[in-house]
Amino acid sequence: MLNFLRYPKLLIKELLIGDWLIILLSLVGIFYLFQTLWTNEHAAKVQIRIGDKIYATYSLNQQREIHVHGKIGDAVIRISQGKARFAKSPCNTQYCVHQGWLSHAGQAAICLPNQISLELLGDAKPYDSLNY
Amino acid sequence: MRYLLLSLSLLLGSCFNEPLYHSQSYVFGTLVDISIYGETDERARLLANHILEDFQNLHNQLHAWKPVSENKLGELGQLNAAFQEGKKPTTISPELAAILVDAAALSVKSNGLFNPAIGHLISTWGFQRDEFTPVEVDNAAIKNLVHAQPRMTDIVIKGNAVYSTNPTVKLDLGGYAKGYALDIAANYLHKEHVNNALINIGGNIIALGKHGENPWRVGIQHPRAPTAIATLALPDGWAIGTSGDYQRYFMLNGKRYCHIIDPRTGYPAQHTQSVTVLVPPQPPNQTQAGVLSDVVSKPIFIETPVNRNAAAQAFGIKNFIVIDDQSTIFVSSNMLKKIHWVESGVKFSTLP
Repeated sequence: MLNFLRYPKLLIKELLIGDWLIILLSLVGIFYLFQTLWTNEHAAKVQIRIGDKIYATYSLNQQREIHVHGKIGDAVIRISQGKARFAKSPCNTQYCVHQGWLSHAGQAAICLPNQISLELLGDAKPYDSLNY
Repeated sequence: MRYLLLSLSLLLGSCFNEPLYHSQSYVFGTLVDISIYGETDERARLLANHILEDFQNLHNQLHAWKPVSENKLGELGQLNAAFQEGKKPTTISPELAAILVDAAALSVKSNGLFNPAIGHLISTWGFQRDEFTPVEVDNAAIKNLVHAQPRMTDIVIKGNAVYSTNPTVKLDLGGYAKGYALDIAANYLHKEHVNNALINIGGNIIALGKHGENPWRVGIQHPRAPTAIATLALPDGWAIGTSGDYQRYFMLNGKRYCHIIDPRTGYPAQHTQSVTVLVPPQPPNQTQAGVLSDVVSKPIFIETPVNRNAAAQAFGIKNFIVIDDQSTIFVSSNMLKKIHWVESGVKFSTLP
């Protein structure tokens, strides 16, 4: 093994196709992980606001259902594997539930009738406010 | 080394103690988001609360259909009741009179596509409610209301005395009030010598100064996904507004009916998903940037594709984005230089 380190040319000669495949797959794996994990956009937390108050901030790195009481009733917010969403809402239109999963920092879902908002927080905020 | 540590700790300190105050509240039936930079937390909170109080008062004054309290309509509600009764002049506040004069001029400029006089049409479609559920489309009523042609120019304003020559005029300032409120807030903050703030009323945003060293950044919402489609820097005094079919709408037989109604047909515009306009600061004694950011997106939204450019130019607006019902994105050439797409490889067409 030490021989290989001392003479890199020897190493390259001795490698078999399987070795090359392993190296290639590892590189692809590293590249993929770098792409998906090494970005500022990836959100780490979800901030829940009720009315004009910050209700709580939760890590996205968990499986959890949060029951919150808004202006018109009880809503359920689901956290799962780096994502968060409105799972249930007492509002008629269900726009908030239809927003679906949020996974990137800066993404937000708002339930106007129930006055509850979700915002994903990350290392860097991509913008100060959203023009929706 | 000591200097390095000192500057590092200063840098870190400034990161954690950034003088940014941020609040969210619900006024105008929507989310109001206020950021103030460079003031103490205590002062910023007082300023923000003052702005929110102003907004609530404005909301009560200009609300088209909700009583302020039991059996008591707001100023606009009372005026609408008077319009329905006939031509007897009603005395209104100088502030409301100025709003009506301005809104009438903007309506004429938009060839009547921005038309705050079609309140009856809007309520026929069920959009003058807190929540929007499908309505039985009353084609006869819609036809009658279109035929009656309620227009801003039907309103006669003499000083503070106002009447309408057309009893079908019912004012709904839903496409004006939020922008107007932005201008009020910006004026108030200037008066209080606050240099840096960002105010967002349900997606209409105005910027004062900067966020520290950098300009304020805003995201433009994707009309069909819970994410921003693009971001841009909003310079001092500039305002941005979006009209979309995704915040107030209902679905009926697989078709989307949004709150933006074409006064010519009486039906919701269905060929557009969203329109964003970016407005530079305006000269004093003219319609201000906040109002324009609210108003100008509507005629562009309603207008046919070939006339969108003309609708924007009528207001001197050079920066805008249209996303049509096929999700095709059109960006004006000026706007293209200002935005950053959030995802790479976004397909779009450039408008001249």
